[in-house]
Amino acid sequence: MRRIADLALGVRLSVGGGRSGWARLALIAVGIGLGVAMLLVAASIPTVLEARTTRADARAVPWEQELTPGEPTVLAQEVKSSFRDLPVVGQLLQPEGDDAPLPPGVTEQLAPGDLVLSPALADLLASDDAAALQGRWGERTVGTIGAEGLTGPKELRFYLGTDELDADSARRIQSFGETEGSAEGLGPVLLLLALVGMVVLLLPVAIFISTAVRFGSENRDRRLAALRLVGADVGTTRRVAAGETLAGAAGGLVVGALLFLAIGRTVAYAVPAGMGFYPQDVRPVPALVALIVVLVPATTVLVTLSALKQVLVEPLGVVRRSSERRRRLGWRLVVPVVGLALLTPLLGGLDTSVGSQVMVVAGLILVLVGVALILPWLVESTVHRLGGGGVAWDLAVRRLQLDSGTAVRSVSGIAVSVAGLIAVQGLVGAIGTASHWAQADTSTFQVTVLETDEDVAPAETWERELSSAEGVTGVAAVTTVWAGPLPSQAGQSVSSDEMPIYIGTCEVLAQEARLESCDDGDAFVLVPDGATAPAPGSAYLLGAGQDTRWTLPASAETVGPAPGTVAAMGGASAQILVTPGALGGLDVEPEGMTVYVALDPAVPDAADHLRTAAAQVDPVAYESPIAPERTTMILGNVREALLVGTVALLVLIGASMLVNVTEQLRERRQLLAVLAAFGTRRRTLGGSVLFQIAVPMALGLALAVVTGSVLTLALQAAVGASPAFDWRTIGMTSGAAAVVVLLTTAGSLPLLWRLTRPAGLRNE
Amino acid sequence: MPTEPLLTAEDLHLSFGPTTALESASVQVHAGEILALMGPSGSGKSTLLHCLAGILTPDTGRVTYAGRDLTALHDDERSALRRSEFGFVFQFGQLVPELSCLENVALPLRLGGASRRAALRSAEAWLERLEVSDVAHKRPGQASGGQGQRVAVARALVTRPKVVFADEPTGALDSLNGERVMQLFVAAARDTGAAVVLVTHEPRVAAYSDHEAVVRDGRVRSQEYVR
Repeated sequence: MRRIADLALGVRLSVGGGRSGWARLALIAVGIGLGVAMLLVAASIPTVLEARTTRADARAVPWEQELTPGEPTVLAQEVKSSFRDLPVVGQLLQPEGDDAPLPPGVTEQLAPGDLVLSPALADLLASDDAAALQGRWGERTVGTIGAEGLTGPKELRFYLGTDELDADSARRIQSFGETEGSAEGLGPVLLLLALVGMVVLLLPVAIFISTAVRFGSENRDRRLAALRLVGADVGTTRRVAAGETLAGAAGGLVVGALLFLAIGRTVAYAVPAGMGFYPQDVRPVPALVALIVVLVPATTVLVTLSALKQVLVEPLGVVRRSSERRRRLGWRLVVPVVGLALLTPLLGGLDTSVGSQVMVVAGLILVLVGVALILPWLVESTVHRLGGGGVAWDLAVRRLQLDSGTAVRSVSGIAVSVAGLIAVQGLVGAIGTASHWAQADTSTFQVTVLETDEDVAPAETWERELSSAEGVTGVAAVTTVWAGPLPSQAGQSVSSDEMPIYIGTCEVLAQEARLESCDDGDAFVLVPDGATAPAPGSAYLLGAGQDTRWTLPASAETVGPAPGTVAAMGGASAQILVTPGALGGLDVEPEGMTVYVALDPAVPDAADHLRTAAAQVDPVAYESPIAPERTTMILGNVREALLVGTVALLVLIGASMLVNVTEQLRERRQLLAVLAAFGTRRRTLGGSVLFQIAVPMALGLALAVVTGSVLTLALQAAVGASPAFDWRTIGMTSGAAAVVVLLTTAGSLPLLWRLTRPAGLRNE
Repeated sequence: MPTEPLLTAEDLHLSFGPTTALESASVQVHAGEILALMGPSGSGKSTLLHCLAGILTPDTGRVTYAGRDLTALHDDERSALRRSEFGFVFQFGQLVPELSCLENVALPLRLGGASRRAALRSAEAWLERLEVSDVAHKRPGQASGGQGQRVAVARALVTRPKVVFADEPTGALDSLNGERVMQLFVAAARDTGAAVVLVTHEPRVAAYSDHEAVVRDGRVRSQEYVR
């Protein structure tokens, strides 16, 4: 009972301290509230993902559906396109009856040429910016896709009515929706990236919350000393302090909940288009909310009690125990070293087993926590070695020598997040460079248009239509036909399996294989690692009907795959490349078409003009760059999410630093007034504040870069990439952190100017 | 006594909101003189000292230092004046806690542009003079109250100011320490020829002055020579 009374006294003291008491409580509540809001956002991610998945599943076209005779059906075929870097996905729909099933969000059957758009795609098409997109799927827009058919408000999606589908090229279904989950599972690399991302973003939040609890702790310690003077024992003062902290934590939970509500309404519109979701989907998982409600106050109380161990609250005042005791490095190193040890399995490659994931996450957490542990030692031992400089420098360095803990607490959050971000960016970059596509030759052609439809348009049609697109400077088609085995005949070599034959000019065949020399009439055999080479002189039956006989010329040269091609990655079957002359005038029906296209980089949106032209020949033709961007769309989204999160963190930590500096200035207002009375220049005091923030920040960033680089090496080893550092990212994140330092200093200056009026002496 | 006073306050009025702090207050001090401002708590004596030092600007009236009207100077000019010509001693020393005692004393010189080495050399001499060399490399928190106050006096005098403003310089000390601080302070001030404006409510401290002014309810009731 007495313990509860002590806690209650603490709560009363925290709210009964007059204006300054309320200000302190508000600071703690806002500080914790910012952290709680971030945690609630994180706790909403599963719900958001689930809502997205549910809606994506509901509109999915099943691969195989058992059809009930007599039930209405619809033919559907997916179209994957893009506008600039934004994905645009659609479905061609051919209803087979008036009652054919409709996808979610679509209310009427589509006649051929009818187009239904998502609101975001409708807006885009209506804008002046999207000329290259106009007419890609026709002009007859008859409606808008409802929210139930979209994953988010920014999704670019369409349904296009058609009468050109058949059961061979499209899927016949009686209902939309995939019950077994249509969303692609995360591969091991992406899983690793997601795990690293979560650790990187949430760890600084935890550090931030523990920092916020200490706002105004000097005042509180003095209050506790007053309690000791009237007879409170050490245990009572600790419980009273816990009560004060609980009041702040409760306020923080309320502020956090309010901030979360505000964020939830806006963040859906702020995230990148590919990751969009609806504001109503931002609902935290109840179990995680319960954890936050319990763990945040518990953590804050633990932090407070731990901080109280550093001071001796006596009846006549507060003595800091730590001022003379130098920090030791030994035990601080144990944590990151154990973390690195846990990460060592990564050096042997990725493993998706649960045990391995737990080890990786634990290792990452320990290494990043190590940054927060080593930084106080690093700052303390460095500032004790710093020499004299100007007055501002001396004031700052001496202040840090006396007590660097406060400054370090603020900086450690940034250091941890920068270390993590460098690691993640390094990993993302490594995944890109590890990709074989990056080695592809783009000197002649930059993009391909791929048609895999049953009814392939002739090469001449493709070349004619694509050549007319704005920004296209060159087009060359490669026709694919399949070569089948020939019934065995005496005295003749016999082929065993089907293999593709690519027919094209020497120039375009060079995109597929390393050709030393090539003239029309030549044929080549491309044999990837592990594939069996067809013997020159073998006979084949060509085409879908397998009715045209053709013999691989005896002169066919065996060549290696061109860098960056599918064949170069191994595992593919043998292929035959032939120039038109080598077919001996045979007229074969194309079974696939790959059109290589050269684009003028000076023409804006040339790739989109090309996509629109390609859609006129075949709406499902797929355009893709020969050397795709270093990252895939999902990787890009993860990186964007991390950047958004890091910016939010930097703002959060900048705000906490500002609060810390403000609090310190208020604590020292009399001293500042005395310095002003001596005639101390404002720039001297401003410089002192800047150095006090910048020195720990510089050290924190240095530690972050080293730690982040070590993590990068481990993660790069895991994905099999050669070691490389992303200096641009290191520079950008460090620069952003430096901007936070400058903004924090600038933000504290008005208060500093106000406090350094010599008239402040009057308060003595 | 020289005919022209070094520092003069004429008919000062100053209010903080509805509270009148100074009302028609006038005092003057000549070079090398020690003026004690006496009076009970809240009488306005510290406010008068702050006006004389250019820290506060009166609502009306004039403060003249060496023929210059302080009330007409820009804030930067008053700051420069305080840096170069004035010194200050406060009740609790108000030393910068992070700096060593030696660095605290050197601080005004460094603010005035002196090199670090020269400032520390002068500071050492002043600490020796005020008999606190033994705490030179300690932080203020590690020195006793009396030692800290002597360090504060050294800091006030290290620039050889023309005027030293001392606000209850012994208010936080026991009588023995207070006596010793005043003896050293007054001796050092007289050696440098500095005028001293001393705020105190203790007759024992005021006894070190050349003349006293009694402040009551914001008015200077009298200014008379005690020596």
